[in-house]
Parts: sequence; structure tokens; C-alpha cells
Amino acid sequence: MNRRNFLHSAGAGALVCALGGGGPQTRSEVARADAAARSVRRPRALGTDAVDALTFDTPRPQPGGQAREYWVQAESFIWDPVPTGHDEWMKMSVPRKRKFRALGYRLYSTGFATPIGPAQMGGPTLTGEVGDTIVVHMRNGDEHFGQAVTLHPHGVRYTPDYDGTYLGDFTRAGGFLAPGEEFTYTFECVPDSVGVWPYHDHGPNHSVNITRGLFGSLIVREKGAAAPDVEEVLVLHQLPPQVTGVRRVFQCINGRAFAGNTPTIRATVGQDVAIHVIGGDSMFHTFHVHGHRWTEGDRDVDCPTVGPNEVVTARWREDNAGRWLYHCHVFTHQDAGMAGWFLVNP
Amino acid sequence: MRVLVPIAMIAGLALAAPAGAVTYPPPGDPGNVQTKPGGKHHTYTVCAKKGKKAKGCLKTIQKAIDKAKAGDTVKVPDGTYKEGVKILGAKKRYLSLIGNTKNPSKVVLEGKSLKGAAKANGVLINGANEVTVRGIQTQHYDGNGFFVTNAKGYHLNDLVAKYVGVYGLYAFNSIGGEMRRDVGAWNNDSGFYIGQTPKQTKPIRSIVSDVVSYGNVLGFSGTNMRYVTITKSKWFNNGLGIVPNALDSEKFPPPEDNVITDNDIFWNNFDYYKGAPFKLRPPATGDVPYPVGVGVLIFGGRRNVIQNNRIFGNWSLGAGMLEQFLLKDAVNDGTLIGNQITNNQFGLNGTDLNGRDVFYDGNGSDNCVAGNTGVQVTLPTDQSTFVGTCPFTGANAYSEDTRNVAVGWATAPDQETAWIKHDHAPQGAITPLVLYSKDAYGV
Repeated sequence: MNRRNFLHSAGAGALVCALGGGGPQTRSEVARADAAARSVRRPRALGTDAVDALTFDTPRPQPGGQAREYWVQAESFIWDPVPTGHDEWMKMSVPRKRKFRALGYRLYSTGFATPIGPAQMGGPTLTGEVGDTIVVHMRNGDEHFGQAVTLHPHGVRYTPDYDGTYLGDFTRAGGFLAPGEEFTYTFECVPDSVGVWPYHDHGPNHSVNITRGLFGSLIVREKGAAAPDVEEVLVLHQLPPQVTGVRRVFQCINGRAFAGNTPTIRATVGQDVAIHVIGGDSMFHTFHVHGHRWTEGDRDVDCPTVGPNEVVTARWREDNAGRWLYHCHVFTHQDAGMAGWFLVNP
Repeated sequence: MRVLVPIAMIAGLALAAPAGAVTYPPPGDPGNVQTKPGGKHHTYTVCAKKGKKAKGCLKTIQKAIDKAKAGDTVKVPDGTYKEGVKILGAKKRYLSLIGNTKNPSKVVLEGKSLKGAAKANGVLINGANEVTVRGIQTQHYDGNGFFVTNAKGYHLNDLVAKYVGVYGLYAFNSIGGEMRRDVGAWNNDSGFYIGQTPKQTKPIRSIVSDVVSYGNVLGFSGTNMRYVTITKSKWFNNGLGIVPNALDSEKFPPPEDNVITDNDIFWNNFDYYKGAPFKLRPPATGDVPYPVGVGVLIFGGRRNVIQNNRIFGNWSLGAGMLEQFLLKDAVNDGTLIGNQITNNQFGLNGTDLNGRDVFYDGNGSDNCVAGNTGVQVTLPTDQSTFVGTCPFTGANAYSEDTRNVAVGWATAPDQETAWIKHDHAPQGAITPLVLYSKDAYGV
């Protein structure tokens, strides 16, 4: 059975949506998906339609813009979603068997000379301004899983070469990076790119490998616009047992579960605070911050819904000092770790 | 590759002389897919030169290589081996040749008494992908210490190459490899060299990291090299430190997309013309080489970045960019486009100054010099070619007078006349080399 047929059959019989969709539901099904992905051979680029023969120039920055270069390697590493072993909010310890092999995008210095920071779930935040290009030199540096991976962005403009998506026989160069391979993506920051967006793997096994940690975010600003005083990107996602091999489900924020492990956000009264929340799995989440409200469209909110790969920005001028909770208000998510601290100094 | 600039042709066109009288295999296609060998792999051991011989050991390294299949390992015990080793073709892909990884100088491949083809290279890898060589020292070969050609993937780690006729560690017409923790010293052209890298639609970078290069004509030569990162390494006491360059005597000019970052590039003032532990190859009449006393120079190239290095005590020049104006098609192959000299630290906080810190002739477009610290002397002195912000998009301001000054360094009868000498700051056990003598260096 090839990968496509396997995934179809696995999805057809699925009642429990632990991956949140039609993906593999059990440990053995994940293993079979991995094996199927490992066996995917390099697509031969068989075009059957005129659009498959189209060629495209690599975009350059607009006059006054610049190419913002990033060096990013996909690599695997052992990950503990609860490094303190403790839930600070409920004063409860979390059982020890938590570690598993994750996949992540890791930022490197120019030319892949040196890794910048540790390998972690949730890749670097890529930023640009309108008129810039975001250039990502990406390397698949993982040999453990032995699968092709990619980097597929939302929000920015790209030609099919830089879609970063596996399309079977119609795959272009950026849609299949086998272990050891590299590709340079070029994305354009056009006027309607302004905002915060996710990026993620879109290779042959992307639903599993995104769950393992191949996700990150992009921020595009108006030209010359200043960043908020406090800016945080929170990706809400779960780590299901069939992918991690750990018995319990962790409901995570940027790869971490439970307050004290999830990001602790700090601000001071008077500051411009922006928290961008991305739905990082196939679940619907909500985002609630205690003691604060913000405007969404024409109404004030304090607990909006965040759908799969949707982005919600909570932005306000800080006016309420103290220790606050932020959390997903789906209780099963909140109780499995999807919560954190927001600390405001007077 | 060493570039020779005939005086009489400075105003015209010239070609570089070939590197040496060594017969090289013809370039093939290094991109051919060689599948990773499956199944059970074997380890073969070469017989020790002294003491107890391992059961079933093979008399020479070459015999072990010949017996090994793809993916196998050949282990070499401490000792001196008088042979030129060849690892050829896809049947030897993924092979590992392992000596003493903790002390490579205990496993010596000695070329001194060899003759003919065996004396050409210490280890030659041709057309075998993903071969690993570790823990070996090569010396006294006419050509190269370790030579990889026509390969996709190579791993030259924990190696030493000394006193060879051309290049210490050399990867030619190959794609995606690594050279880590190696030493290249006292070699007649360069300690390290990655050249003629094929253009790739999905480029794979090569990494040179944690290496040491000294006492060579050039520390690192990069003729038409691509996608190479040189980092965390020391380049000192060479004639010149690092020289990415464009030549049309080899395929695929110019050098492109290379990154030179976080290196120590210092004291490259070895005036080998006044004595060296190797026999100088006579240049053609009237030829002069690159100017001695230069840390790092891009001689034609696109999108090369010299960034975050410590560059000091080079008495002609710390870092520079110059159009390769000697090529037949200089406009297409030699023009500088999109190169950067940025965020480097010059002169070791004023304690070990370069003769000049930065030079750029202003050729081409999208080039920039910005964000460097410790810069005291530049060419041009008013920095009119430098732009001052990186990255930069746009035409650069060419200065012919500036170029002529630099060309004058190369054409001076005595390399040292262009130097601006300063005292050096101590660097532990390393002592500065300007004039070589056998008594002082014992080699």
C-alpha cells in the first residue's frame, strides 16, 4: 500500500481524532505512515498540464526593501514538554515519562556556521516589512526519521517553486527536501501580507511531522512600522500519544505544557502588548487572558476562538498590573497543560 | 588556486598558470545518485607495521580498500605507510577509512620515496560518494594530501596534510562535503581548497570548520567555489589567508554564495619568496603572485559574505574585494555582485594592526562594507566605495585609482614594499612567520 492509500484507509475508519483529523490514530499507524514517507521517492516532476511547465523568476526586494535571510535546519531532538516536571498553577507534579523525539526548525547563523540557541519545538519567528523578501535557506538535517520535509508559509506571496509543498508527481524543487538536502525559499512581503502567519512542513508526511514540531511563525509589518513593546507568538497544539509514544496527551503552547513551562509573558503598565495566537493542530481552541479585553473587529473580546492555522492577535495598551493567567478555555485542553502566566509590573 | 598576474598584462588580459604538473582525473558528474548501501557492512584492518598483527589483516591500505565494498570500514593502525591510496567509483561509496582520530600524526601516509602515480596524492577519492576519511596525516606527495573529485558528499575530518606539492585538503568538482578539525601546513599552494563547485538548483552547502592552516602559500584557495561556509578556524602565517577567486581555466566561474564567518585570520605575511620548506614552482617570466600579506580577498565573485571574523596583523591588507579583471569574460565572470564585508573586528582592539584594514575597488553592484569595528586604514582612504549599509541593492562607485594601488602591491618587485608593519600581540604558542629558515622551523 502506498502512502496515499494508507492514509486514506487510516482516515476512513477513524472515529477518534487524536491528530485532529484523518491522520494516523495509533502508534503502529504512525509507524506505518513514517515507513510510507521514508519510501517516497523523489518526484519526477511529470507535468500533465500546461501550468506544470511554467517557470518563474525568483522575486527580488522592491526598491528600498531588503532580502532578509534566514538559515534554518530541520532536525530531530529529544524533547520534554514539561521540563520543570511541575504544574505551577495547580501545584501538581507531572509524571516523569514525558520525553520523546521531536522535529523542529532550528535557526543557524549565516552559512549554517553555528546553531543559534537550542533545538526546540516551534521554529524561529521570521520577520519582514512590506517590500522585503524573506529568504529562507533550509536544510533537512534530520536522519532519524529519514523523510523529506519542507517549509510552507502562509500570508506571504510566493511562486509555485517556493510553495514548499509536496504535490506527488507535480512536486517542484521546494516541495521535497530529502535528508541532507537544502533549498532556498524566497517569499515576498506584499502589502496584504501585513500580519502574523504560521509556517510549517508540507512534505509527504506533514500532518505527523507538524505534530512533531515542524512549525513556526512569520511577522510582516508595514514599512518602517515599529514592533509592539511586548510581542509574543503562542502556537496552541497537542502532543498525542501515537506520535510521541508517551501515554498521556499534552496540550501545549510552543511545545510546552503547564504554567511555569509554557511561555511566561512579562509586560509593564503603559506598554503596547501584542500576543499572536496560532492554532497549531486540527482542534479548535480559544484564547483567554485574565484581567484584559481587546478589540476584534467591532467588538471587545476576552476569549475568541482560534481555528486550525488561524491567527488571532490580542493587542492592548497595558493597564492592569499583577499576576494573570492566560489559557485555552476548552477545559480538556486547559487541564492538560494549555495555560501560562502573564505578569504585569506597575 | 594560485593566481599569477603577468606584469605586462595588467592592463590587458591574462590567464592563470595551472596549479602543478599533476595529472588529474577528468571532471565527471558528481550529481549521479549512488544509493546508500544496505545490508551488513564489514570492517577490514590493515596490518600493523610493528608488533602483533590483527587476524586476517591486510598488508596495505590499498589492499583493504580494494577488498572493501560500499559502506564498509577500513581501519589503519598507527604507523607509516608508503603508498598512494585510491578510492574510486560508486562501488566504494559510503566507505570509511579510519586511522587515529585522536592523534592523526600517528598514522602517516608518506610520499617521499614513492614514484609515478603513487606519489601524486596521499588519498584520492574519485566518483565515490559520501566517503569518510579520518585520523590520517599525509606528507611529501607531489600533488595533494587528500583529494576528492567528482563526488557528492565527502567527509574529510581529523586529518593533517603537510609538505605536499599543491593542496593539503582539496575537493574539486564535488557537491556538499565537510572538512572539520583538520590541519593544512607548509603546502606549496594552499592548505585547503574547494573549487569548481557545480552550480546546483538545490545547492548543498559544504562546511569547513575548526581547521588550522599555516605556512602555506595560501591558507584557503577557492577558485569558482560555491555554497561553502568557512567558520571557527584559524588562518595564519600563510602568504595569504583566504582567497575565493574566479578563474576561467576551470569551469563554473566565479565563486558564489560562500560565507566566511567567525574565523581568526591573522599574520598572513609569510614571504615564501625569500625561503620556504617547499620548492617554489617557477612562475612564467614576468609573473608575480597575489600580494603577500593579505588576510582575506574576494577576487571576483557573487554573494560572498565575510562576516564576524577577527582579522589582524596582516601587513598588506586585512580584507578586500577586487574585480577579477583578468578573465576573458570579465564582465560576466569577474564582476563583484552582492558581496559583503560586514561586522568583522579588525586590528585586535588596536593591539595588532593590519597594514590596511579594508579595500574595495568599487566594482560591480550590490556590494557593501559596513558594521566593522577597529577599522583604522582603508583603501580608498575616504571609504567612498564602501556604501556603509549591508545588505545593499544598487550600483557601486568604481574607483580606478583605488584598484591601481592594489594592483601595484601585486606587481611590486619585493612583496614587502607595500607592507605597513606593526607589532604583533602574543598568540600563545604561535609565533609570527615572515621569513622562513630551516633552523627556526625545523622542517
